[in-house]
Amino acid sequence: MIAKAKAKPKIALYWAASCGGCEITMTELGMDLVAVSEQVEIVFWPCVMDFKYSDVEAMADQEIDVCFFNGAIRTSENERLATLLRQKSKILIAFGACSHTGGIPGLANGYSRESILDVVYNTAPSLDDSAGTVPRLSTNMPEGEITLPSFYEHVKTLAQTVDVDYFMPGCPPVVEQVGAVLNVILEGKLPEPGAVVGVTDKTNCDVCERKAVGKSAVRIKEFKRPHEIIADPDICFLEQGIFCYGPATRAGCGLPCINGNMPCRGCYGPPEGVEDQGAKLLSAIGAIIEIETPEDVERVLDSIVDPVGTYYRFGLSDSILSTLKYGNGKG
Amino acid sequence: MSPTTVTTKSFADQVRVIPGGEKLNVCFACGTCVSKCMIQQKVEPEYNPRKLIRMAILGMQEEAFRNPTTWLCSACDLCYPACPQEVHISGVIGAVKQLALEAGFTSPIETVSVDESICSGCGICGMACPYQAPSLIETQVNGQTDRIASVDANKCMGCGTCVAACPTGAISRAGVSNQEVKEQLYFAEPANGDPRLLTFICDWCLRADADVQILESYPNNVRVVHIPCSGRIDPEMALLALRSGIDGVLVCGCKPGECHYQRGTLVSSCKIGLLNRIFDQVGVVDGRVRFVQIGTMDRGRIRSEIDSMLDHLTAQKDVQ
Repeated sequence: MIAKAKAKPKIALYWAASCGGCEITMTELGMDLVAVSEQVEIVFWPCVMDFKYSDVEAMADQEIDVCFFNGAIRTSENERLATLLRQKSKILIAFGACSHTGGIPGLANGYSRESILDVVYNTAPSLDDSAGTVPRLSTNMPEGEITLPSFYEHVKTLAQTVDVDYFMPGCPPVVEQVGAVLNVILEGKLPEPGAVVGVTDKTNCDVCERKAVGKSAVRIKEFKRPHEIIADPDICFLEQGIFCYGPATRAGCGLPCINGNMPCRGCYGPPEGVEDQGAKLLSAIGAIIEIETPEDVERVLDSIVDPVGTYYRFGLSDSILSTLKYGNGKG
Repeated sequence: MSPTTVTTKSFADQVRVIPGGEKLNVCFACGTCVSKCMIQQKVEPEYNPRKLIRMAILGMQEEAFRNPTTWLCSACDLCYPACPQEVHISGVIGAVKQLALEAGFTSPIETVSVDESICSGCGICGMACPYQAPSLIETQVNGQTDRIASVDANKCMGCGTCVAACPTGAISRAGVSNQEVKEQLYFAEPANGDPRLLTFICDWCLRADADVQILESYPNNVRVVHIPCSGRIDPEMALLALRSGIDGVLVCGCKPGECHYQRGTLVSSCKIGLLNRIFDQVGVVDGRVRFVQIGTMDRGRIRSEIDSMLDHLTAQKDVQ
């Protein structure tokens, strides 16, 4: 399964603002991971093996051959490691939806830093004590000063923070694509820098086998959320009034959600040529709703409970909306 | 004009049996439909539903099939409520068109085309189209069977609603392709610092020449991009313009019920409405993307809409 490389490449894996799913997808390689570990030298993987940041700092520049960086940039620690790993790596891969487009953490860009901290430390219903205790950057204790990384105003993608060589989307990237990309790396056949890897050219609708019964005649009368309907497993979700990201999402995942009778959530990001996945999806879905009067328009708009979460579930950090709100991420 | 020989009587009968063509004979040729029609005023002086109906009644089949009226009617139905005889004129024209297609005639309209190598076969275009011109077919692409969109050129009216809806950019129409529209989005800031306004204007919502002249009267801080229908607008275009530093985007379409392509203006109001709700939720942009629907009776309104937008943008600039 895993190709043989001549010299053992040095590999680093890191997680920033993420859930850990990208780490799990690596371990999903199973016995192939053992084969990989014989082919490469893992020099940094804090989730799984015991390394310290000082180990990375001690490395020469570009000593790491390939760094898989998952997670968005939410704190000063995330940014510090992104900068450090960029400096120490020949190839930096934004691995997974969070580092690629901001992912679920990126949804925080719809809120201010203050409101988030207030909910988490003061007003969340699960808190039984609101003593106003909030984390501080620096606290003096009898033993000395202890510090925390700072929490940024907004969530950035990896490419909004440092230069990135390749993008590998997915929440998480599916294990088959991880294996395929590892092989490409070991064979030294990576494409031109800037490419999105572990994907195909078209969108999920291209590979989806659900029947599009009357697509040229049927429009959506009302949206149903997945919990409000038992979806027919053989018919296009959109035709059933269930919001599906498939038309505006790059293919490559093999459709685990759709085959599990859940609509595509869009984690593989926009297809080639699309700069704002949410706007493109909005343009597509907005055109296929059955509307005959201005009142219909209002009714449809009112029925979408959380427009940002609906259209920008994984892409808010990478969206033009975030650029308009926070300026261009880098620099 | 010479009457055709064999089908003189049966042509009218053929039109009448097609759904939509039933009321052919009650037309008394008052011409009110012609006075309502935007096509004759803006595109084709030879366009004349009254004459086409006469041709059908008189059995002038060949002339009817070759007449631009048969092909250019987009079934906006502005004429229908005005007809004193309640003839569904677009229905009659549609019946003539159907017979023309059956006789081997083809539409002369600039239609959309599909790039098979990009199309993912999602079918959004077919659902978006007011006329169901695109549909999904199984075909051979690069030696493999693939499901892709195929456009019936005889149904397509060229409004571009599908071009905006296509998530992959596989559908295109000459003159308003994604590339051609994008090239018009960006323009330099004027030296005096006036706010820059990008205005997309549907070619049908400005009825009078005076309105067109109003558009030309603005200085270089107002860029006008002509589109066939407000349904052609893709919210990504507005975002790209704002990101480039353009201060505001105004999209002008027709009043609901008067849209030349039936549903384009409702599609656009849905898209821009939702875009504005997204702006509000994220806390950006603040009224700098606006959609207005201009009716056929709203002469001169375009000036007040542009001025109101410029005032809003100037006020926002002053705050900053």
